[in-house]
Amino acid sequence: MVEKFTKVKFTNLDKILYPELKITKAQVIEYYIKMAPKMLKFLAERPAVLNRFPNGVEHEGFYEKDAPSGTPSWVKIFERYSESAEREIAYILCNDLDTLIWLGNLAALEIHITLALAKAFERPDFVLFDIDPELPLGFDDVVNVALTLKQKLDDLGLRSYVKMSGKKGLHIVVPVKEGYAFQQTREFVHKIGKQLAKESELVVSEFPSSREPGTIFVDYLQNSHGRTMVCPYGLRATAQATVSAPLDWREVKKGLKPEELNLFSVIKREKNPWEGIFEDRQQLEVS
Amino acid sequence: MTFDKSVQFRFLHKTDGQPLKYERVCIKEDKVVPWEETAKGYEISKDEFIIFSKEELQAARPESDQRIRIDKFVDYLSVDPVYFERSYVLTPEKDSEPYSLLLNTLQKTGKAGAGRITLRTKEHPVLVHPYKGALIVTTLRYAYEVADPSGLDELKELKEPKKEELDLARKIITDLSGEFNIEDYKDTYKEKVEQLIEKKMKGETITVEKPVKEEAKQLMAALQETLKQLKQ
Repeated sequence: MVEKFTKVKFTNLDKILYPELKITKAQVIEYYIKMAPKMLKFLAERPAVLNRFPNGVEHEGFYEKDAPSGTPSWVKIFERYSESAEREIAYILCNDLDTLIWLGNLAALEIHITLALAKAFERPDFVLFDIDPELPLGFDDVVNVALTLKQKLDDLGLRSYVKMSGKKGLHIVVPVKEGYAFQQTREFVHKIGKQLAKESELVVSEFPSSREPGTIFVDYLQNSHGRTMVCPYGLRATAQATVSAPLDWREVKKGLKPEELNLFSVIKREKNPWEGIFEDRQQLEVS
Repeated sequence: MTFDKSVQFRFLHKTDGQPLKYERVCIKEDKVVPWEETAKGYEISKDEFIIFSKEELQAARPESDQRIRIDKFVDYLSVDPVYFERSYVLTPEKDSEPYSLLLNTLQKTGKAGAGRITLRTKEHPVLVHPYKGALIVTTLRYAYEVADPSGLDELKELKEPKKEELDLARKIITDLSGEFNIEDYKDTYKEKVEQLIEKKMKGETITVEKPVKEEAKQLMAALQETLKQLKQ
């Protein structure tokens, strides 16, 4: 019967992947199925990197850049030489519902995507500000920095999109017209980060200072080819099954909590704040 | 001790290769009837039944006591094989002497014990006879379970054969006479089907899908909904 609707052969559907909330693999797959209309727009034609948790989030997972052995022939693969790995990597392109369901069946609780389309591997269409706090800072501090950052981008005439990282931070994305190199977008983010660091004692803009307690790092380094961010609406491997949920900027305010946006609540959310993002590619003032 | 070794097939739905299940459907309501709601009916005339509950029939059921009551001894070969139904091996009890005595005597005399046994719901006439060093009990059909062909019209006016024809036929039979050996006979249809099965196993097979569990049902519902949305 199931074959009528998907090519995926389900296995271990009743395996519990999020023990604290008793979420089974079936529920994860159901989440992916229900979110597919929103998620696939971001997944399509972008190399995907998986973080798989076959034994659930309380056990160690593993990153997987290459399509695993046993990848069905109908899954689209994008091969690309990696300088750091010094070999060809066979990336998965999650272009359709079946592939997304298959990733769910692999217990890929995190799906990360590149900031460029596969065909334009070194030319990004997303610029990412990854706002990542260190304890004892809380989410309200992150919100403050994000709002300051938004103001800066507004002042530059740039429309920005914000989403939960699904862990401790926020991701802010500016969709850009094709043609920029990662070096340019990276420098742009770094420049803004440095400005923020000047204005706020909490913010650090340099990689060596990141991870220091009580700081917020505006991570610019993800703006590199082959680097990734967690897919919008993607699950995270956290106890509370949090989601990297796109937000309306009006939702970004004091009291916002990452765990409020999880598998159960996001499935019910009707709003789609990033809906027009692909029609909103902008120009950057870069050298 | 006898087995049906013919190739077993299951009925499938041709278009998706899935097994078919049988259901008891009430003709009037056109609904599947649960087992507890079934009863047995004896059809006294067309569409008119006397109904029996399972309990009523259970009460009338004869006691199966695993005992063979032998009435007399007969020549084994005098019993026509048309009466033979099913054979079962008899094994000796702890004290094997009576078994051995009966077996030996029957072997030496060519006789068989004729009697009765109750198996499950039915009392059967039986023959107890030796076979390859063991005692066998073979259930027999009742006289009324075997048709009497002597009254058939086709048999009423059989022509008397001529003497020459009889002589010739007898000669042919003599020429073709031999020992009966059951091993000479093979079920060629069964062999062909088994060959086909082997071929199919190497190539295309139809795998049986397990019944869809509750969680998979939910996934299918979500799938249908999403597929609809994606088509838009």
